[in-house]
Amino acid sequence: MVDLSEIASGFRHASGGIVGVGRGRNRQVAIAIETIAILAILPFVLHPFFVFQVTMVLIYAIAIIGLNLLTGFNGQLSLGHAAFYAIGAYTAAIMMNSFGVSYFWTLPAAAVICFMFGFLFGLPALRLDGVYLALATFALSVATPQILKIHIFEQWTGGVQGLVIAKPDAPLGLPLTQDQWLYFFTLAVTIIMYVAATNLIRTRTGRAMMAIRDNPLAARSMGINNPIYKAVTFGVSGLYTGIAGTLGAIVVQFVAPDSFTIYLSVAFLVGLVVGGVGWLPGAFFGAAFILFVPNVAEHFSQGLSGAVYGLMLIVIMLVMPGGFAGAVRIVSSFLKKPSV
Amino acid sequence: MTSLLDVRNLHAFYGKTAALHGITFQVDEGSVTALLGANGAGKTTTLRAISGMIKRSGEIFLREGSLMKSQTEDIARLGVAHVPEGRGTFAKQTVENNLRLGAISRQDKAGVAGDMEMVYGLFPILKKRRTQQAGLLSGGEQQMLAVGRALMLRPKLLLLDEPSFGLAPLVVREMFGIFRRLNKEQGVSILLVEQNASIALDLADHAYLIETGRIVLAGTSADMRNNEQLRNSYLGY
Amino acid sequence: MELLGQQLTAGIASGTIYACIALALVMIYQAIGHVNFAQGEMAMFSTFIAWQLMRWGLPYWAAFAGATVISFAGGVLIDRLMFRPIRTAAVLTQIVMFVGLLAVLNSAAGFIWDFTSKPFPPPFGADPLLGSRLVSTHQATMVVATFLLLVLLYVFFRNTRVGLAMQSATEDPVSASLVGIRVEWMIALGWGMAAAIGAIAGMLIAPVVFLEPNMMRGILLYGFAAAVLGGLSSPGGAVFGGFAVGIIENLAGTYIPVVGGELKLTIALFIIISVLVVRPTGLFGATHTPRV
Repeated sequence: MVDLSEIASGFRHASGGIVGVGRGRNRQVAIAIETIAILAILPFVLHPFFVFQVTMVLIYAIAIIGLNLLTGFNGQLSLGHAAFYAIGAYTAAIMMNSFGVSYFWTLPAAAVICFMFGFLFGLPALRLDGVYLALATFALSVATPQILKIHIFEQWTGGVQGLVIAKPDAPLGLPLTQDQWLYFFTLAVTIIMYVAATNLIRTRTGRAMMAIRDNPLAARSMGINNPIYKAVTFGVSGLYTGIAGTLGAIVVQFVAPDSFTIYLSVAFLVGLVVGGVGWLPGAFFGAAFILFVPNVAEHFSQGLSGAVYGLMLIVIMLVMPGGFAGAVRIVSSFLKKPSV
Repeated sequence: MTSLLDVRNLHAFYGKTAALHGITFQVDEGSVTALLGANGAGKTTTLRAISGMIKRSGEIFLREGSLMKSQTEDIARLGVAHVPEGRGTFAKQTVENNLRLGAISRQDKAGVAGDMEMVYGLFPILKKRRTQQAGLLSGGEQQMLAVGRALMLRPKLLLLDEPSFGLAPLVVREMFGIFRRLNKEQGVSILLVEQNASIALDLADHAYLIETGRIVLAGTSADMRNNEQLRNSYLGY
Repeated sequence: MELLGQQLTAGIASGTIYACIALALVMIYQAIGHVNFAQGEMAMFSTFIAWQLMRWGLPYWAAFAGATVISFAGGVLIDRLMFRPIRTAAVLTQIVMFVGLLAVLNSAAGFIWDFTSKPFPPPFGADPLLGSRLVSTHQATMVVATFLLLVLLYVFFRNTRVGLAMQSATEDPVSASLVGIRVEWMIALGWGMAAAIGAIAGMLIAPVVFLEPNMMRGILLYGFAAAVLGGLSSPGGAVFGGFAVGIIENLAGTYIPVVGGELKLTIALFIIISVLVVRPTGLFGATHTPRV
């Protein structure tokens, strides 16, 4: 039986604090605290535009974690995550613009909506595998911008032009700029969701997810209810990427149908692989890659920026087929003494 | 007796782990040689090393030529037919296509056609099922198909990995009868890997006992059968 | 009724295009066991090569042959340099490699030949076929060429040794090498053939949609859908899928109210997905019953 309470407790655990997460993880906790300390200082030393960019890295990282849960840990390939990102984004935009809801409440709303959507999509997708699932999720990506442009919905979605969203101020009169506040807000959400994900992986539910990925037949014969687990994983995955979308909309202050195309889905997939499939920290490397490298490529050559980007992908796949996760694994096994 | 296969100081590795620690043995021309041992002793690993499927070091000679630098497909083309653990049939292809695939590297069409008839003669059930998908055959039939496919290569050396595995005793006896015929009538040399020491020693001329990657006993099958230690551990009497 | 007839014809016409690309996709799937996401860009690049050869003075058929041969070599090269080193890596790694290839080809084509649409000559002219109102010569050419390719591929896989070897190399590389099949050569050959077929498909499609770096974008998607609908192991299914997709797309756009042209692609895709849910390996895909 899927223990939804385990998923919920994962979140509870996370929002309570990072300390006390499992035995013998002191070194990892130390690294985490150091990283967060550095991250906490950043918005005060960086130019506002870079603060914005780092915020986007965090947001994309959440999106990639969502994809990782589904594809990396549960083995269900998805080329459709732009759809969840879009739903999250538009939930924020519509709630804030048409209904005057505060940005804070758009997050839980988007979480629920995206989980439901992911779960409902996951159900019929159960019978599909590999390439066939890829096509189905591909269709999702293609459908999203088209559906968003439909005339009937225009009064809420803003049609092709999209919607502009007001930028929220720091609450309680804190001495922070809007960019800085959004940065910390995003950072807090990122930490909570990241820890929840690591906890989820470690529970029985997480192990069931991975069992389904590694050997669905064996998993079934061990009593794991594959359909429910797979659909729930789809839901959770959608929830993560959806929340990323919500944050994205608030931070960018703008949503439009053509921002959420198949190219975004592919970008998430690239970020997942470059960071390392099945390795949660990789999401941050992957997010940084897909945000910054295209810009770097343009610096190299205006006309051939796509070719430079493609070439970098090719080289990285040749040199580090396991992404950053693979590189880290090689380095750490090199440093460890070989076991006889 | 000239040796067909000459293995010297063979080491084999799965990744960084060594599975064979320098074994030396021979298969004489026209003989049946058995590799005995318990599960995980290194018998299958030996066959894989000969076929170039895993990392290996040492020396492997097929007649005069060394196999050490050759790829799996080249070793097969030199006349070494390997029937692997798990049979290795092409499940989605028909029985007849599986046999055709066995001879795919050969140029002599007439010879191939003749050999196919020969295989159908040995295994009439395969002829009956020639247009069926190989994956739907029973275990015994798949074993026959695997052996048949190996024979389509017109091999000098037949490598058999646990041919009795998962088969009913009657089927095993029939199978081994066919092996004996192939060896006596067609002069096919056989290197046989078997957990079932009794039936292996019935067929073989020579045998080697492998334990944890090393050869611990060697001799004619008669000698081996009389060996106290072997009898106790592997033959049960 | 006239409208239905027109839409059906239009559907068949675009269906031929999708069938072409679907055939190339199925071909490479049979040869290497993966869907080539870069097939569209490869076809586009090959067509540009043909165009360039003609600019340099070669007559049409020389350019056609030249582009096909160069594409074959290019396909082999791509396999050797990019995919062979990651043969044993995860599927996702290979997908990202495809994405990289896509980006390079698209960007390079735009850089070398720019993004303006260029006309590309049809092999036999585009006049109405024998004066018919419904079919043009080029449409007929495409249909005939697609079926010809289909027949050739069918014969190749069913009746030749190389075809059989190629299929088994994909199905079970280890067993294939144990019977002496040079698995790596087979895969490289498959890539070459897929590139060549893609070139032919591109040169047939370009007269209709005009040659420019993004010409295959939408078409690849439809071709992909068609191949999956028909079942990735069935060349005939791919062709059927192509026509089916073309017709569904046109009829859906015309007859389903409210949304008209905007959601054509979406509706077509969702119909296909519904089929997949009922038959997970496509309409004509081989259902392989595994023995547990």
